[in-house]
Amino acid sequence: MQLADKIEKRRFIGREFLLWLWFESEIFEETLTTKKHGDFGFWIEKEIVLSAGKEATRIKGTTPAHAREAKEALRLGKMPERATFRLVLGERESGFFLKAEALALGALTLPAVLDDGTAPTLGELGAELSAPKKKKKGAEDEAEREADGKAEAFFDRMDLTQEVEGILQELYRDFLALRLGASWEKIVVPALRDWLAGDELDADRYRVSRDKAVAARASR
Amino acid sequence: MSLFRGSLTYARFFVDPALSEPTTGNFADRFLEKLAAHPFEPLDPEGEAAERIGWCRVGEPFETSFIYEDLFFNEFMNIGFRLDRWVVPPSLLKAKTREAETAYLAKKGRERLTKKEKAELKDMVAKKLRKQLAPTTRIVDLSWSLNDGIVRFFTHSTSVGAAMSELFRTTFGVTLVPEAPYTTAARLGLTADEETAWADLEPTILVTEETAPRERGAR
Repeated sequence: MQLADKIEKRRFIGREFLLWLWFESEIFEETLTTKKHGDFGFWIEKEIVLSAGKEATRIKGTTPAHAREAKEALRLGKMPERATFRLVLGERESGFFLKAEALALGALTLPAVLDDGTAPTLGELGAELSAPKKKKKGAEDEAEREADGKAEAFFDRMDLTQEVEGILQELYRDFLALRLGASWEKIVVPALRDWLAGDELDADRYRVSRDKAVAARASR
Repeated sequence: MSLFRGSLTYARFFVDPALSEPTTGNFADRFLEKLAAHPFEPLDPEGEAAERIGWCRVGEPFETSFIYEDLFFNEFMNIGFRLDRWVVPPSLLKAKTREAETAYLAKKGRERLTKKEKAELKDMVAKKLRKQLAPTTRIVDLSWSLNDGIVRFFTHSTSVGAAMSELFRTTFGVTLVPEAPYTTAARLGLTADEETAWADLEPTILVTEETAPRERGAR
């Protein structure tokens, strides 16, 4: 198979990745785990778009994936094309949308960060705003401070961006361990079908099986 | 949306480490030289080019000289990609071309124009109109993470991404691979069996004949 075909003819894997994220987020009560990051909050918020060919269903709301129309669209053969996620890791909270077929991030909002890596409280922000401004030393110092501030802000943004990308990468790695092995048809697809049909699903049992499959891939 | 403020919307491109410029020695000087050879140059209304691309400084579309301090942020190199394009409103071009054709025919005392004359008149009118219009300008930030070979390009437009990739290749001699489910998987490392499995992948069917009637029955 040519490289172009591996890319273009398998873009549907991105949609299946989004579906799997939605499914696991729902059955694991909005808490996902990766070996590298531990537990973190992860759920769909604001919007999910499902489509098949030119037909699309766009659902907006606080928890759009819980809307009846979302699973109805899946039953009609539509797959997630794009979804907006909330990610909470420790004190840090981010939001972004993920375009399935390109695995591209959009509208990534990052938390404000202080030196110790925690977001400022409202009180701290208020104190900062009301504090008297220091007298400027000179145009040169001012330009230097501005450049330093710009660089610092950039590094903070990149650190947080890379953290979000890192989590998604580990999730994708786990997904691939399942999707490219026998466990996809054996473990994941039956669970997805039960979930979609609204049948009772033993989430703990599913977790044990999928963890085993992911660990087996990692040990290879 | 930019590198320095607001929310971030971007596409990732991967740089093959084997093809990437080694970031040792005076690599910064080499990069500065290469960028200096491909700065953005404004469109000329009289020229033939309908669009033009080039590099500029991030947040400063008219600044096309590059200095180390503005470009390098530790392991990141940040630059602006600028694309200018002449966009003459089609209805205006059509009306003005018709005017020019009428005047030309009257001057020549003829009733019809040749195909060549029509094309020349249209081109002449377009160039004349360009002098009265400003080209549309698009500036997109780009951040190249040199250590991990990732380029973040702050738009999802595939056509602008393709234009940038071409300029990137011409400038740095590096081919960018756009992120996609396969390219990300390959970057994470696929075994030979997984490569085969990837080639054989079929979309997952969730609704089967068995489950479909149960769904209908449940309603």
